Amino acid sequence: MPKDILKASSLTVSFADHTVLDCVDFSVKQGEVFALLGGNGAGKSTALKTFLGTVSPTSGDAYVLDRSVKKDINSIRKNIAYLPESVTLYGHLSGIENIEYFLSLGGINRTEDDIKQALNRVALQVNAWHKPLSSYSKGMRQKTAIALALLREAPVLFLDEPTSGLDPSAIDKFNQLVASLSEQGTTVFMVTHDVYGACQIAHRIGLLHKGGIVGMFERGSNDTIDTEAVHTAFSMRDH
Amino acid sequence: METIKHIFADEWRYWQRTKLGITVLVIGLLLTLAAVVVNTINIQHAANERTQLQKTAEARFVDQPDRHPHRMVHYGHYVFRAPSQLSTVEPGVDAYTGTSIFLEGHRQNSAMFADQRQSSGMTRFSSLSPSFLLQILAPLFVIIIGFAALTREKEAGTLNIMITQGLPVSQLILGKYLALFCGALLFILPVGIASILATLSGEAALITLGFFVGYCFYMAIWCGVVIGISSLCGKGSASFASLISVWVLLCILVPRIGSSTAAALEPSQGKLEADFAVLEELRKLGDGHNAQDPAFAALKANLLAQYDADDVDELPVNFRGVVAQYSEQKLTDVLNRFAEARMDTELAQTQVSRWFGWLSPTVAIRTFSMTMAGTNIETHHRFLREAETLRFDFVQSLNKVHADHLDYGHDVNRYKNEDTAKAAKVDASHWQVLSSFSFTPDPAAARIQQSLSAATQLLFWVLLTVGLLVVAVRRVKP
Repeated sequence: MPKDILKASSLTVSFADHTVLDCVDFSVKQGEVFALLGGNGAGKSTALKTFLGTVSPTSGDAYVLDRSVKKDINSIRKNIAYLPESVTLYGHLSGIENIEYFLSLGGINRTEDDIKQALNRVALQVNAWHKPLSSYSKGMRQKTAIALALLREAPVLFLDEPTSGLDPSAIDKFNQLVASLSEQGTTVFMVTHDVYGACQIAHRIGLLHKGGIVGMFERGSNDTIDTEAVHTAFSMRDH
Repeated sequence: METIKHIFADEWRYWQRTKLGITVLVIGLLLTLAAVVVNTINIQHAANERTQLQKTAEARFVDQPDRHPHRMVHYGHYVFRAPSQLSTVEPGVDAYTGTSIFLEGHRQNSAMFADQRQSSGMTRFSSLSPSFLLQILAPLFVIIIGFAALTREKEAGTLNIMITQGLPVSQLILGKYLALFCGALLFILPVGIASILATLSGEAALITLGFFVGYCFYMAIWCGVVIGISSLCGKGSASFASLISVWVLLCILVPRIGSSTAAALEPSQGKLEADFAVLEELRKLGDGHNAQDPAFAALKANLLAQYDADDVDELPVNFRGVVAQYSEQKLTDVLNRFAEARMDTELAQTQVSRWFGWLSPTVAIRTFSMTMAGTNIETHHRFLREAETLRFDFVQSLNKVHADHLDYGHDVNRYKNEDTAKAAKVDASHWQVLSSFSFTPDPAAARIQQSLSAATQLLFWVLLTVGLLVVAVRRVKP
């Protein structure tokens, strides 16, 4: 029985008199791909930021690898990788230099061969590796950031709208990559408003609405999530 | 420590690859270097010239032929103030007050040959001194290089990645700070070279070291302000606008408000007004050239009584020479009283404006720099006093020659014909009355003691900057 890697326990986050997350409970198991789905203002980014430790819970708590984000965020950060929605990294550095630099900030050393393998894995074309990132397309930057996340070899990967701005072919490759990571035991937590994307990639989807989980969907016997059911629930959430 | 090194190295790599940072660094370094080199050449030239002129002036005075001693009083003498070694970087008040004085009887002339007074309005800006560059322009260069140090990371979203992968904000800020500080050190590198040269030329090592360290502190303060504000602002534009406002406030407005406040709190008389007040007082003393002036009646009576004489031509001394001595003494008392009052006012104004060092690090470093270099107002006042002592001594020595070595009868009849004119002269050997003049800045210990309050103000700003950085570390959010 895989253990819980992520856990939200009565997680509540309020700003001034506005409650963004209201007593949210869920957990994500090792190797699972969990998507938190919701529209604008549902609270999904706040949930993600809470796990990353950039937003503090007002009450309740969030746990990563059994460590509380309230008490042990520095330790948590050493064991996670995060891919923000809009990734720019450093325009003045090449893809390889960017990865080397950002890994070094986390105290991680990887050889250039390791980095090239990771860039191959995310299918970033070889002739771009040594060019400055300022000449990259959004998709290429995304791939560089994914390679950076892979090289951290973290047991937990947080993704914020990961396929936003990617072309269909890149999305397919990205989904394959996430599936392979999941098979290797990496736990993936993503937030998205893309119903179909989430259904393709996730083992489980939590539908978030107005700060609360209003639905939980998981893969059925055919190993797929019922997209229609999720879509219907997503569309009907205000009714 | 490794992480800080990586951040430091990347910051320099960023400046190099984006060109802007490295361009500003090179421009700043070249400007300061050029200013130091040009100033050093000028100051060296001026020092040699003034030393030579001082010798020439002394030689010309003693080489004068037999003359009436009072003509020598009006022939006068020049004294020159040799520049201090560190005036290659910090000309201080010398550029405004002048560095030489013409000494003559019955007058206290102002110092002359001030660079700024000799310049026309348009050329003033062309004489960029190294101290002006470092105190005013270097902070601007630091702002241009560093305003986006942290906002760049926020705007690119990289701060988010850094923080979420466990990079402590304190290390990020420290790495950026050290990179910027090392860049700023390039601007003061020429000062370091000038300080070494000054030490080799005889300036106390403690002074030159303190001088350099003072500028390091000043740059450390500005780097802290730049990194602190860049950390607290969300966008580069906001950071740049805030920093430029701070620069205008601290480098332009506060010093200006300081001098205006000083002038308001310690008002000084205008030049014309002061000159008329002196003339008014001097008129009461009588005309020293006219021994028959009623102002000297009591002196005459006393002398006649002392030597039991009926008329001045029976006196064993030349009465005109005695009157000249008496008159010069009285006149000098009045002139000194006005001069001291003027210097007191100038000093009081300076003290008020120096207080603004608590409100602006630029004022603090300016005071510190001028005091350590020996180019402050106190040093100028000492130059004026020493020059006045020399003036009074040689004028009174000549008056004594007039009283003791020139016959009264020959003196009063000197304009009758050529023979009487020749008789009314004294031997040129009497012109050996000049003391050699050599002005040096205060000793190192005295200058260090005088600069303590400005050093305290700089330390206060360093602490304030540390406080700002601590707040920045706590408040930085992705």
